[in-house]
Amino acid sequence: MTTFFLFVLIMLSILILVYLYRVIQGPTVFDRVLGLNGISTKSIILVVVIGTVYGREEMFVDISTGYALLNLVGAFAIAKFLEQRGTP
Amino acid sequence: MKSSFPKQFIANTLALFSVWLILSGRYDVSHVVLGFLVSCGVAWLNTGYSHSPFHDFPWGRLVLYGPWLLLRIVESSLHVTKLILNPALPIEPKLLTYRSHLKHQGAIVLLGNSITLTPGTITVEVEGNQLMVHAIDKASGEDLTSGRMEQKIAGMFQEGKGHE
Amino acid sequence: MVVIAIALILIGLFFLVVAAVGMVRLPDVFTRSHAVSLTDSLGAFCVLVGLSLYQGFGINMLKILVVLALLFLLNPVIAHATIRAAYRAGVKPQAEEDQ
Repeated sequence: MTTFFLFVLIMLSILILVYLYRVIQGPTVFDRVLGLNGISTKSIILVVVIGTVYGREEMFVDISTGYALLNLVGAFAIAKFLEQRGTP
Repeated sequence: MKSSFPKQFIANTLALFSVWLILSGRYDVSHVVLGFLVSCGVAWLNTGYSHSPFHDFPWGRLVLYGPWLLLRIVESSLHVTKLILNPALPIEPKLLTYRSHLKHQGAIVLLGNSITLTPGTITVEVEGNQLMVHAIDKASGEDLTSGRMEQKIAGMFQEGKGHE
Repeated sequence: MVVIAIALILIGLFFLVVAAVGMVRLPDVFTRSHAVSLTDSLGAFCVLVGLSLYQGFGINMLKILVVLALLFLLNPVIAHATIRAAYRAGVKPQAEEDQ
């Protein structure tokens, strides 16, 4: 069972690398923001899977909840700032 | 239209306390009492602003709406998956304006959230009851303009208003 | 139960891979946001429901479902905020306007 979860973890890491390509490459700044949003969703899933591997779900689920809320605040701040400043 | 203060206060307290019970995971006396006191305090500070869009929201009917929305999400996800995996990439992005007949503020919030949650359509701008929607191809756009989702939400809110 | 959980996690991984492919292939911000919407709604749903079934019934299952509900509420809001910022800042979509 641990082997299967390791496979899931490696797949998620590869997906994060693909999104990172979009963050580095992206033509506009909004592509980068969108890529970061996708990376944070993958990280939330990743943290829950790590909790399942270690058998400490109650702690890791709390961490992922906090991460989701923090991601919301950060995305709003960036979106508001870029909306006022206009496209670079 | 205005709901009474104690009813709203008790509802807020129960919602916050149930979230505390799920997230804390410990059920000895000190934790439960502390959680109850904290949720009472937070609910007392936050009750009384009746211009929130959720003040007579039909929460009970949301339970019936959830599985229907999930079915729609699966259906349109398969459609978008076929589009992305097609080597020719046959997308025709389109920006369409959609005027809805819903009056309740919470209904428009729910409609916009459902449109964005469904793959293939995304809400770009909301002004009053006029929504600007970006659709990825013709089928997704027609699915929205046929108004199935709006009728479902309208039915839900008509029933909610009838009780008042 | 474990078999259903593994099947759900594999289905969810498939949708996540499709979303990443779409993120690379699609041409502009607006269409890419459809790819992110796809992964967030269906991929995360399948993977997290699979993990909660693997836990069995109990407090951990409820906690994972709370995370899932939070994702379903917050992700459309974030996608909408980003896209509205892009539209107002003047990024032109490759699309014809239509009534």
